[in-house]
Amino acid sequence: MQPLAAMLFFQNRQLTHLSPVDMIILLLYFAVVVFIGFYVKGSTNTSEEFFLAGREMTAWIAGLSFVSANLGSLELMGWAGSAYQYGILATHWYWIGAIPAMLFLGIVMMPFYYISKTHSVPGYLQLRFGEGARGLAAISFGFMTILMSGVNMYAMALVMKVILGWDINFSIWVGAATVALYVMLGGLRSAIINEVLQFILIWAGAALIPILGLIEAGGWTNLKAQIVANTHSIGYVHMWSTLGHFKDNPMGINWVGIVFGLGAIISFGYWTTDFLVVQRVLSAHNLRAAKMAPVLGAAFKMAVPLIVIVPGLLALGVLRDPHTHQLIHLVGENQVDAAHPYSYNEVLPLMLIRYCGPGLLGLGITALVAGFMSGMAGNVSAFSTVWTYDLYGAYMNKRASDKHYVLMGRWSTVIGMIISIGTAYLVMHAASIMDYVQALFSFFIAPLFGTVLLGMLWKRATNWGGFLGLLAGTTSSIGMWIYTNFGTAAHKADALAHIALSRDAQPMANDMFRALWSWIICVLVTVIVSYMTTPRTEAELNGLVYGATVIPDDGATTIWQKPIFWACIVAVVFVILNIIFW
Amino acid sequence: MAQGTGRGESLSIWFFVGIMTLSYGIVLFPYGAWEWFGNHEPGTVLNNLHPTFWWGLLLLAFGGFYTFRYRPRPGDKDVA
Repeated sequence: MQPLAAMLFFQNRQLTHLSPVDMIILLLYFAVVVFIGFYVKGSTNTSEEFFLAGREMTAWIAGLSFVSANLGSLELMGWAGSAYQYGILATHWYWIGAIPAMLFLGIVMMPFYYISKTHSVPGYLQLRFGEGARGLAAISFGFMTILMSGVNMYAMALVMKVILGWDINFSIWVGAATVALYVMLGGLRSAIINEVLQFILIWAGAALIPILGLIEAGGWTNLKAQIVANTHSIGYVHMWSTLGHFKDNPMGINWVGIVFGLGAIISFGYWTTDFLVVQRVLSAHNLRAAKMAPVLGAAFKMAVPLIVIVPGLLALGVLRDPHTHQLIHLVGENQVDAAHPYSYNEVLPLMLIRYCGPGLLGLGITALVAGFMSGMAGNVSAFSTVWTYDLYGAYMNKRASDKHYVLMGRWSTVIGMIISIGTAYLVMHAASIMDYVQALFSFFIAPLFGTVLLGMLWKRATNWGGFLGLLAGTTSSIGMWIYTNFGTAAHKADALAHIALSRDAQPMANDMFRALWSWIICVLVTVIVSYMTTPRTEAELNGLVYGATVIPDDGATTIWQKPIFWACIVAVVFVILNIIFW
Repeated sequence: MAQGTGRGESLSIWFFVGIMTLSYGIVLFPYGAWEWFGNHEPGTVLNNLHPTFWWGLLLLAFGGFYTFRYRPRPGDKDVA
């Protein structure tokens, strides 16, 4: 969700170096992930085993993998930087921007994904709206996913160059070869195991920063006081009280954008329809596990700000030069100079180096490497599934054997990784591509959520309604993006004011409101076209739509086993946290 | 039970979690002890709290528990 070009602040310098003990820790990680690939290869012989991990994961494994697939290093470093730049407002992307959507996925949407026995989100669209919607979603998802994998790869190489001075080519090829090897061997199963390991590693490597940081600051209350004193603003330490107007907070956004743009559309679009994360839950071994996995994921997600947002806030409060004891002032990547040598995005490495000596530093670097590799593996495994099932199997070779599709899955993993490497080198020579790739990804998320939501909850939605609604939403999103990103500065300001409904809106608000409008357009077009075309019979919609489907019992016998009970607990904690940090 | 690694395998995903964190504890704990008791503390902030030693001990305990709890045992094979 962060502008990836922001990582380009890095210059030809090196923050630290690894000692032998750090290298041992890093090499141990590589040895284990490659071993896992070889170990699970024997259990990935059928297409269901390769693409859906045999549908035998417990709720805990699927839930951890679900949240971990999103917890890449770009997220960690980018949002730590945003926490420095915007203060505690960045937490919205972890709480209202995730928790309600994850609970909605588990309780409302997962039964339909699961009992339809679909293998992918485009696969569900095919069952519900026919080939048009599936083709559009599969092509856009496959294309974007493989590009994102390349962007992730380049970002990892760049970070390793800056922190450790490693050669970019070395990082790209070693990272890509390792990921290609273990995903090709073990498919989704291998990716999921590594995501669970990565989640543990990230906490093991990053949790010391907030612990030691809060000790240094003298506790949370003292940290807040120091931030207010250093920034001369209360906007950095309150989540909601400064969202009344765009001008009252450092992000330049208001509560409408956060609640409806982020909380209701972007978040629901990402967490409920992005196949990269939904694929993890589809691997659950029964309906109850599939419903519980996002609920457990939500519980873990709520804790992530501790290792992402708190380090950014700590930098605002306590990051001082060890010699002069002056506060170190981080700046935007375009403003880095001799007086301000560090940018926002260097917050996490700077805090890591501040508290972690040899050994712990290796653990932190390993966590970052694991996050990058896991991000690549997630993208490549999702690409391989969508390519094999929804493009190759749907349009090129419909009647191949199961063994053939597994072989295609393995080959598409390798070829996908090679395309990713090409993307990485392309980005190296034209950095702005990173922002374009990420913008492209955002074009499809909000409209796709409109299409899937209406598909699951409204029996009257027709095939033409679904397809044209998705097309209209996506096209309008692209149109708005072009409208606000090209032209003179005066035109861009006008365009932003039109999209976000205020002259005080900042670019962050643009994304929220663009998502909101494209979703509304998708829903309106779907509804209008559906009323003009013939709906499918109720029998055809069995297992796909609310009201036409008898949802099977999930087998929970006590309240402790019911996903809805735990979803309520998570929801209550979510509300309490927002009130505490109001 | 070999959770997560597939039918027919005997090593659970949690065993891998255990063995990985245990390995890190085995590396960090003695290294932290050497730093602390040998006066080789790095020049990091709050190094007087000996974070490498204590974090290594925590990983050792966490990893040791998971490795023991999910160790492969006879009869685990063929259980998903």
